[in-house]
Amino acid sequence: MLQCIFLLSDSGEVMLEKQLTGHRVDRSICAWFWDQVVSQGDSFKQQPVIASPTHYLFQIVREGVTFLACTQVEMPPLMGIEFLCRVADVLSDYLEGLNEDVIKDNFVIVYELLDEMIDNGFPLTTEPNILREMIAPPNIVSKMLSVVTGNSSNMSDTLPGATASCVPWRTTDIKYANNEVYVDLVEEMDAIINRDGILVKCEVYGEVQVNSHITGVPDLTLSFTNPSIMDDVRFHPCVRFRPWESHHILSFVPPDGLFKLMSYRVKKLKSTPIYVKPQITSDDGACRVNVMVGIRNDPGKMIDSITVQFQLPSCVLSADLTANHGAVTIFSNKTCTWSIDRIPKDRTPALSGTLLLETGLKRLHVFPTFQVGFRIQGVALSGLQLDKLDLRVVPSRLYKGFRAFTRSGLYEVRS
Amino acid sequence: MAPPAQTNRSPSPSQPSGKSEVTDLKSQLRQLAGSRLPGVDDSKRELFKKVISYMTIGIDVSSVFGEMVMCSATSDIVLKKMCYLYVGNYAKVNPDLALLTINFLQRDCKDEDPMIRGLALRSLGSLNVANLVEYLVGPLNAGLKDNNSYVRIVAVIGVLKLYHISVTTCIDADFPAVLKHLLLNDQDTQVVANCLLALQEIWNGEASTSGDAMKEREALLSKPFIYYLLNRIKEFSEWAQCLVLDLVVKYVPADSNEIFDIMNLLEDRLQHANGAVVLATAKVFLHLTLSMTDVHQQVYERIKAPLLTLVSSGSPEQSYAVLSHLHLLVMRAPYVFSADYKHFYCQYNEPSYVKKLKLEMLTAVANESSTYEIVTELCEYAANVDIPIARESIRAVGKIALQQYDVNAIVDRLLQFLEMEKDYVTAEALVLVKDLLRKYPQWSHDCIAVVGNISSQNVQEPKAKAALIWMLGEYSQDMSDAPYILESLTENWDEEHSAEVRLHLLTAVMKCFFKRPPETQKALGAALAAGLADFHQDVHDRALFYYRLLQHNVTVAERVVNPPKQAVSVFADTQSSESQRPHF
Repeated sequence: MLQCIFLLSDSGEVMLEKQLTGHRVDRSICAWFWDQVVSQGDSFKQQPVIASPTHYLFQIVREGVTFLACTQVEMPPLMGIEFLCRVADVLSDYLEGLNEDVIKDNFVIVYELLDEMIDNGFPLTTEPNILREMIAPPNIVSKMLSVVTGNSSNMSDTLPGATASCVPWRTTDIKYANNEVYVDLVEEMDAIINRDGILVKCEVYGEVQVNSHITGVPDLTLSFTNPSIMDDVRFHPCVRFRPWESHHILSFVPPDGLFKLMSYRVKKLKSTPIYVKPQITSDDGACRVNVMVGIRNDPGKMIDSITVQFQLPSCVLSADLTANHGAVTIFSNKTCTWSIDRIPKDRTPALSGTLLLETGLKRLHVFPTFQVGFRIQGVALSGLQLDKLDLRVVPSRLYKGFRAFTRSGLYEVRS
Repeated sequence: MAPPAQTNRSPSPSQPSGKSEVTDLKSQLRQLAGSRLPGVDDSKRELFKKVISYMTIGIDVSSVFGEMVMCSATSDIVLKKMCYLYVGNYAKVNPDLALLTINFLQRDCKDEDPMIRGLALRSLGSLNVANLVEYLVGPLNAGLKDNNSYVRIVAVIGVLKLYHISVTTCIDADFPAVLKHLLLNDQDTQVVANCLLALQEIWNGEASTSGDAMKEREALLSKPFIYYLLNRIKEFSEWAQCLVLDLVVKYVPADSNEIFDIMNLLEDRLQHANGAVVLATAKVFLHLTLSMTDVHQQVYERIKAPLLTLVSSGSPEQSYAVLSHLHLLVMRAPYVFSADYKHFYCQYNEPSYVKKLKLEMLTAVANESSTYEIVTELCEYAANVDIPIARESIRAVGKIALQQYDVNAIVDRLLQFLEMEKDYVTAEALVLVKDLLRKYPQWSHDCIAVVGNISSQNVQEPKAKAALIWMLGEYSQDMSDAPYILESLTENWDEEHSAEVRLHLLTAVMKCFFKRPPETQKALGAALAAGLADFHQDVHDRALFYYRLLQHNVTVAERVVNPPKQAVSVFADTQSSESQRPHF
């Protein structure tokens, strides 16, 4: 089991250290780890599971903060990594962001959270709902309250009722005047398109997120019109398995608030909503670039926040690029970003310009990959549709809402 | 580097210089210690925060131990937590002062509030001082019988901590028996899980010395107990499920009915949101069906989908861990994954450790139908900005070429690489063309045509140069310029740093001589002379050997240096030793 957790800043300084078992792990392991990072050039490229001469190390990096866990015993590495990811998510949720300053300002909360989440090296309570009841987050409201009432303790006086119930993700005495439940379908599309415009790979990963504020202990049933298009599904622990197996119906008692009910993957997609056509021709030391963006299969709703980003190869000295719609920015690290936002009705957005190559180079040999971003409100590109949402006991004044949303994941077009 | 000041409270501690701040703190704490003023808790909290932050940065604040203990007489939980955190850190260094806190801790263990009881028990356990253990036994006993499950959970782990501090106290107080009772009878699943964890560690530790402990350990793996755990597995928290699944792997089922029973029970774990649970279940399935080959194949099919989803969703660290496991599986059963090769395509902004693993998997799953597409994809990577990945992908193309029989398209691709005029691409491609020719000499005509166009000046890397020279020697009858290229290389002998290249050069010149004597004669003389004068032992010896052979008899020399060769069927080092070791 894990023996110690360190939080390191992006300069290698130890911000926080929590020893978990009797074996004291010396800080020299952090110094060793940081030497490795420096010699490898970029912490991001370091492997997540490393064997040092004395310990096994698990590390994840979130926004410059490195979470490092050490152990000397054999344990499943994915458990260590999943746990660190969970710690990072909970901290980011509580502190509304994750960076060196916010951790240093709130390290008491961080210590308290770590205390509850892991005991003697073994993960204990990691559900955010339960943690929120035990340790209140440091937001503006509680700060104001503490000034007014003079009680700045953020620990609650009673144990959350949920720790002792058999539905551990929900407390038993929740009351709301207005009962409401919202279901969101959030999808992300990953695709690779090669230089001939052929779709090499296209997949959609989706999540069904439910935000419920319902009195008491409600029992919900959710069904889809076309569940068979989903290739692989993963559920929150609250979902009962039998109804899904027999009729593809989700039957569950939801945790209060926002949570991820299930995630799924849809594989057989044949088309993408927008097309990006890059053309790069080079001769005699100069390159001409022309990129066109347009809508291919109109999904019915407005596509916005469209951006095209690519990295100028290192052999390019300078670039002169203009677009007839949207803004082009070239950063000092040679990344070029073109933000189009929405495709206008009257013309096709096109980016064109020239790239100046290094002296002596006749043609461009390395072709940049274009990463495309977009968002579509109101449509789930996989085609998944919600059929109905029922409650076993319908309370008075129930409001149900449904939304769908797709955005691009790792969407790249090769040139 | 001072941390930034906060907006609506006192400024954060700036980089302290050491002693003066600590003595300041001491006096401030002492002032607050006995005070009962209404604002005292807040000021205490600020001071405690300072102390803890100094501790975190690494400054030694053990001298304020006494004052901290005095100030901890409070009903505020946050203050208590900070105080106990501090005490736990320094107790080992100051065991006598730690004794002072025992009083407070014992009182807190009997507090009305279960959170405080739990906190006190946890802190007692973390004190980690050998001569304080007798104070631990009483509260632990009370904690294990507490009505509130939170306290019981903490108490169980406390027993484990006690075991690590002092084995004899733990065993003498008969804790393992109490834990066992809780394990089998407690309603709360987290308590059961913690008991399992604690008992496993304790019995593992005791098994070498005590027969009882060994028996108990084996009893854990008995059918009624395993079934008891499996029947309740959904109620356990996700981390506890990982623990239980780890235990199930060690269980040996009596017959195949049991195996199917267990697999049916665990089927839905594969769809859990936590990747670690999915992987642990996959491990159980694979382990149970090792001896039943056809069911084993079905298991592969079943676990494929969840594992592939895990690879693509989730953070890159999780992908890496899952991919490493998948790598092992793919090595074992490549045909199972041969339809899913698209999952292993590399995305542009993935970290390079993930890309490397994916490349290895693409080479493993390539079969006749997918070779063309996979090779096309790999060629895209060769034009990649990331040089190590570009090299790896060219090597991957070569490996696939060596594995598959139909290498038509691959040869064309490799030759295209050579035309790319990028030096590292050319270097890698040359090495591969050489290996390809050793296995498929029938492609020599096409390859030689392209290789001959490469100017040897462009090739700088030793391995690539050696490969080029080998080809020049081997196929000198087909390449018209071979003797002249070799001659110019020989003229630059002294500038050639790599011994490997010089050795190859010697052999190549010899071979060329046997096929085209008049053109190569001058080059041969120069090469032998340079070789004999060379300071590297191997080069010198080989030159001497060749010289004497030629003096003795030219036809014998030809038989020795350039015998008719058979095509290599399988390269020994393509079968990695990893896949040959039994893993399961």
